[in-house]
Amino acid sequence: MSILLDQSNRVLVMGVTGNYGKFFVTDSGGYGTTVVAGVSPGRGGGDVDGVPVFESAHAACNATSADTAMVFVPPHLVRAAAIEAIEAGCKLVVATADEMPVRDTIEIRAAARANGARLVGPNSPGIISPGKAKMGFMPSFCFMRGPMGVISRSGSLSYEGSKRLTVAGIGQTTVIGIGGDPIKGTTAAEALALFHADPETKAVMYLGEIGGTEEAAVAEYAARKDAKPVAALIVGKTAPPGKKMGHAAALVGSKADSHAAKTKMLAKSGVYVCKGLSDLVPQAHNALAAAS
Amino acid sequence: MMILEHEAKALLRSVGVAVPRGTLIKPGTRAPRVRDYPVALKAQVRSGGRGKQGGVIRVDNAKALKAAAKKLFATSFGDEKPEVLLADPWLPFDRELYLSVTIDAAAEGYVVLYSPKGGIDIEDGPKPARYPIGAPWKFRTHELRAVLETVEKDFQLRERVISLAQRLVETAAARDCHTIEINPLVRLKDGELMALDAKIVYDDWAHYRNADILAQRDGERRRADKLLRASLEMGHMYVKLDGDIGLISGGAGLTMGAMDTIHQLGGKPACFLDASPGPTSTRGYKPAFALLDGDPDVKVILVSVFGGGTHMNRVANAMKANMATRKSKKPVVFKLDGTYVEQVPGIFDTFGAKNHVSLEAAVKEAIKLAKRA
Repeated sequence: MSILLDQSNRVLVMGVTGNYGKFFVTDSGGYGTTVVAGVSPGRGGGDVDGVPVFESAHAACNATSADTAMVFVPPHLVRAAAIEAIEAGCKLVVATADEMPVRDTIEIRAAARANGARLVGPNSPGIISPGKAKMGFMPSFCFMRGPMGVISRSGSLSYEGSKRLTVAGIGQTTVIGIGGDPIKGTTAAEALALFHADPETKAVMYLGEIGGTEEAAVAEYAARKDAKPVAALIVGKTAPPGKKMGHAAALVGSKADSHAAKTKMLAKSGVYVCKGLSDLVPQAHNALAAAS
Repeated sequence: MMILEHEAKALLRSVGVAVPRGTLIKPGTRAPRVRDYPVALKAQVRSGGRGKQGGVIRVDNAKALKAAAKKLFATSFGDEKPEVLLADPWLPFDRELYLSVTIDAAAEGYVVLYSPKGGIDIEDGPKPARYPIGAPWKFRTHELRAVLETVEKDFQLRERVISLAQRLVETAAARDCHTIEINPLVRLKDGELMALDAKIVYDDWAHYRNADILAQRDGERRRADKLLRASLEMGHMYVKLDGDIGLISGGAGLTMGAMDTIHQLGGKPACFLDASPGPTSTRGYKPAFALLDGDPDVKVILVSVFGGGTHMNRVANAMKANMATRKSKKPVVFKLDGTYVEQVPGIFDTFGAKNHVSLEAAVKEAIKLAKRA
C-alpha cells in the first residue's frame, strides 16, 4: 500500500491550461496518475492531451467523479482554487506553490477540516507513491517502490534523499512533501500517523530543517512504544542564527530551533539521526533493520 | 520581514492601540524636537536583543540626548547600524506584561500568547499562557478569558488584555502579519494599557495586497548593493556566510544540505543562495554569478541544482550561455540532477564543462579548487 495517493485517485487539475498544468497532465499521466479532468474558467469544453476541461471544479467533479485536486494557479489564486476543489468534493488537494501568504493556507486548512478533506503543501514538491501515481513535478527516476515512507520539508532535498535511497536499493511506499511554510496542509505528525497505519511502510525517513516545531512531533512519535523506526536528516547545521534560510519557517530564532537542539531531541527519542547527506543511506538501513 | 519599532507602533496606532508619542531622530538632526525629559532613546534596528546590547538609553536633557544619539548611530547591532532613532517619553508604569499574536503550526493558524510578567527576560521566565485560535474568525473572547483566568488575577486588566488581543488578531489577519508582539505592554498609573515596544513581522508574500509590505520589500532591495539587488529582483534568497565556496543552489532544503556537506568535508560555504524562484526560470542564474564573481571572499563557485519542475537541459543551456559571457576567472564546479539530466553531459561537452554525479564529489572538487586559489 501507500498513503493518500495511488492509481485509484481520480485527479482534477486546477489551472490545467497553464504551462505547469499542461506539463503535469503529460508527465504525471505518463507515470500512471489517473488524471480525469481539468478546470480553467473561460476555457471549458476543450481538452488538454485528451483530458476534458471544465468551467468549474463542481462541473468537473459531477462529470468525472474526480476526488483529488492538483492546484497549478499563481500563488495569489491558490486559496480560491483549493477551496473551490474542496467544496466540490475533492478529499485530497495538493498545492505546490510557494510565495503564498500564510493566511491563505490557514483558510484552506480550515476549509479542508470543515469538509473532511486534506491539503498537502503549499511550498512543497507534492506527493508520489512510486510506481503508482504522482502529484507534482518530481523526477520519476529518483523513486522506486519499497518499504520506506519519506516525509520532507523541502522539495529538492526530497529528490536528493529519495534518489540516494533508490540507488541503494531502498524503495519508498510514498514520499510526501509537507512543505517549508509555517502552516502546512499536512503536518509531520499527520504524515507519521498515516505511515503508522500503512502496513507496507516498515520505517520512515524524515527530512527536516532548522526552525519550526515539526521535529518535536517526529520525536514525540518516535518515543511511542508502538512507533515504527524513524531515521532523520536535519539540514541547516551551518546556518547562522536569526536569518531566514529561504523557507519562511527555516529560521533559528530560539535555542529549540537550532540544528544541535533538534538532532539531540530526535536522538534521545530513538530516531536514527543522519550525520549529513552522506549518512542518509546507512541510517535508513539501520531503521529498516530495526523494523524486521 | 520584520519592520522597525517605530513603523510597528504606527501600524498599532492606526488600529487604536495606545503607543507613546515618540520623536524620530535622523542622523545629523541638530536640535531634535524633544520637549519633555526624560526620554528613552531607542536604536531602530531589526536584530533581536537590542536592550541587552545597549540599544536603549535613558536620557535626561538635550545635551545628553546629543551624546547618546551619536553613540547609538555609531553602534552596530548584529550586522546593522540604526538609520534612525526613536525618542519615547519615559513613562511611569506599575505592571510590565507580554502579549503577542503569532502564526503557530500546532494551532493551525494564529495563537495568542500572554505573560503577566513581560520585559527583556521573557525567554528565561515561565512559558506564556497560550490560546490557540487557528483561523482568525474563530477567536472567542470567552475562550481567551478562560485561558487567562489562571494566570491573570486582576480582572480589569484581564478584560483590557482580551479586547486588545482581539484587535491584534484582526490586525494580523487583515494586514498579513506573521507576528505582532508587544513586550512590554505596560499598565500606566491610570490603568490604561500602552505598547512601550512593538515587533511586527510581515508576511513577505502578501506584497500584492498590502502596499506597506511592498514598500518594505523595496526598501530591503534599496539597502542592498547593486549586485545583490539584481539577484534579489530575480526572487533569489541570499544570506552571506563567512566561507570561500560560493554556492548557487535550488530549493532551501538542498541548499542547506549542500552547505552542511561543504562544512563536513572540510570547506566553508560563502553563502546561502537559493536561485530557483520558479520551476521554469533560468534567467536568474546570471545575476547570481555576477553577485558571487563580484564578492572577493568567493574563491570558487559550486552550482548544485536538483530540479523536478526545473528542467536540467534548460539549466545546462543557461550555464552555457552564462559561461560564454562571464569575465571572471573563478573556477565553477557543477552538480546538476533531476528532470532531463541525461541531456546535460551533451550540452556540457560543447563548452568543456563537467557535471559531477554526486554532491560529495562536487564538493570535494570545490574545496580543492578553493584551497588552490
